[in-house]
Amino acid sequence: MIVELVNDLKNKNLEAEEYVERTYEKIGKYDKYTNAFITIRSKEEVLREVKENINKGGKLAGILIAIKDNISTKGIRATCASKMLEDYIPPYDATVIEKLKKEGAVIVGKTNMDEFAMGSTTETSYFGPTRNPWNLERTPGGSSGGSGAALAAGYVELALGSDTGGSIRAPAAYNATFGLKPSYGTVSRFGLVAYANSLEQIGPMARNAEDLGLLFSIIAGPDDKDATTIDLSLNFEFKEQNVKSVRIGILSDILEMSEKPVSSVIKDVIDKLSSEGALIEDTKLGNAEYALPAYYIIAMSEASSNLARYDGVRYGYSKYMEGNWREVYAKNRGEAFGIEVKRRILLGSFILSAGYYEEFYLKALKVRNLIKKSLDELFKKYDILVSPTMPILPPKIGEVINDPVRMYAMDLNTVIANLAAIPALSLPAGFYNDLPIGLQLMGKYLSDIYLINISSYIERNVTKLYNLTAPIKI
Amino acid sequence: MKIEVNKNLIKHLENLSLIQLSQNEEKMLENDITNIIKFFEKINELDLSNVEPLFHPLPQGRLRKDTPRDPLDRENALKNVKRKENGYIVGPRTYGE
Repeated sequence: MIVELVNDLKNKNLEAEEYVERTYEKIGKYDKYTNAFITIRSKEEVLREVKENINKGGKLAGILIAIKDNISTKGIRATCASKMLEDYIPPYDATVIEKLKKEGAVIVGKTNMDEFAMGSTTETSYFGPTRNPWNLERTPGGSSGGSGAALAAGYVELALGSDTGGSIRAPAAYNATFGLKPSYGTVSRFGLVAYANSLEQIGPMARNAEDLGLLFSIIAGPDDKDATTIDLSLNFEFKEQNVKSVRIGILSDILEMSEKPVSSVIKDVIDKLSSEGALIEDTKLGNAEYALPAYYIIAMSEASSNLARYDGVRYGYSKYMEGNWREVYAKNRGEAFGIEVKRRILLGSFILSAGYYEEFYLKALKVRNLIKKSLDELFKKYDILVSPTMPILPPKIGEVINDPVRMYAMDLNTVIANLAAIPALSLPAGFYNDLPIGLQLMGKYLSDIYLINISSYIERNVTKLYNLTAPIKI
Repeated sequence: MKIEVNKNLIKHLENLSLIQLSQNEEKMLENDITNIIKFFEKINELDLSNVEPLFHPLPQGRLRKDTPRDPLDRENALKNVKRKENGYIVGPRTYGE
């Protein structure tokens, strides 16, 4: 637990040198197999900061944290796992990074991800795929796969990810860790490299519910630099929330679309919740099969507009400089973007072009409204909605990457929360053949802390799965 | 609406996106984009005539006072620029062949 670790460092029960050495030793030994990090900072620099911060104090005084590589970190490169930004060094910190530093956290490195967060397996990275510490032949999920793997391998206790359609929850599920996609507007996106603004949030990832809550309480809050943050302050009161009499809706239409081993592990947990006194009822989201195409239409449209900024002139890949503007721009972008990024930009341009805007984009936004309305209705009857986080087990490296539609289908259960702006949390549910399976809890808008408190109860009393470290088999 | 994905459409999209693809990529994306559009067309099964589009999850943005703050200084702002001259960014030509 972070609270204890902070105390141990402060009281010198654990020396800063030993803490940092231990971390770098693990990373040095195993990250050549897991490839969780794109950039690892120098040990000396990190140790110096850890010592300084232990003296200064704070809720995370001296704690090492891993940051997804699409979050701006002053003086530490932020590549977005793209050739386009291979040598880009942000001149400023994202708001979440400022907040972490204020509480004494120290960045140990920047984690691997799908290029510009476009993918569900961390295989579209320019720096090679991240491998799942639980089974090195499998993907860790994505796009925040490096952060998920760094937690499962025990390199760090805390990490940040970002979630546009499941990018925190997929790696949380596949690495047997905890991840929260916060309610839209609770965490500042200032300094997050934009993919699809109306859908995404930065969120906390951790190895147990308590640490997840602590990290969330530090990064959340209004920000003048992000006009989409909300003023409402949340009441960060963390305690186990007993599930007795909690009204839980099971999204059976989603559950039925899951692979057998996944649904059977989830059903086991549901049975246990029921014997703990939760009021379980089968229900349906309705229109579930339309959420996925609607999500991808919206995400790609926003992506094509957001990624127009990469011109290779102000920053980024700029091998070509001579010739006219359009040519130079197109050549640099053609060479520096990977295939999935190109696919999404081209499709986004298509959707937003004359004639297709009404046909696809507007219709997708209408589906978004339908999904939001059916969730509003469901939350009148239920306190939380439960489903598997992912419909399938972690795929093998190379298994889905060459079939985009199949890869997109992995996001079936997670995109719903992004479309509707509600919070969603993934926690470990169990294992099948040593492969982790995640349980997704969704709650009404701004019920983030309630979800964390419920997951706190579940990890202690129902699943007893927390602080898990993968036995990396080389 | 029947959408035909062919070479011409891909060329058009390359132009709109300002991305120059290799021949291999053009072929691959022609195939992928055909499949993905089929996947998108699923939403046409729904009658959406009486549904309003939801553009953004928040009804309104948070506005701050229009007062100057500390900006990035020029040196830092230009740190990632590959080609600069006297504190300016040098870009490609905007006219001519």
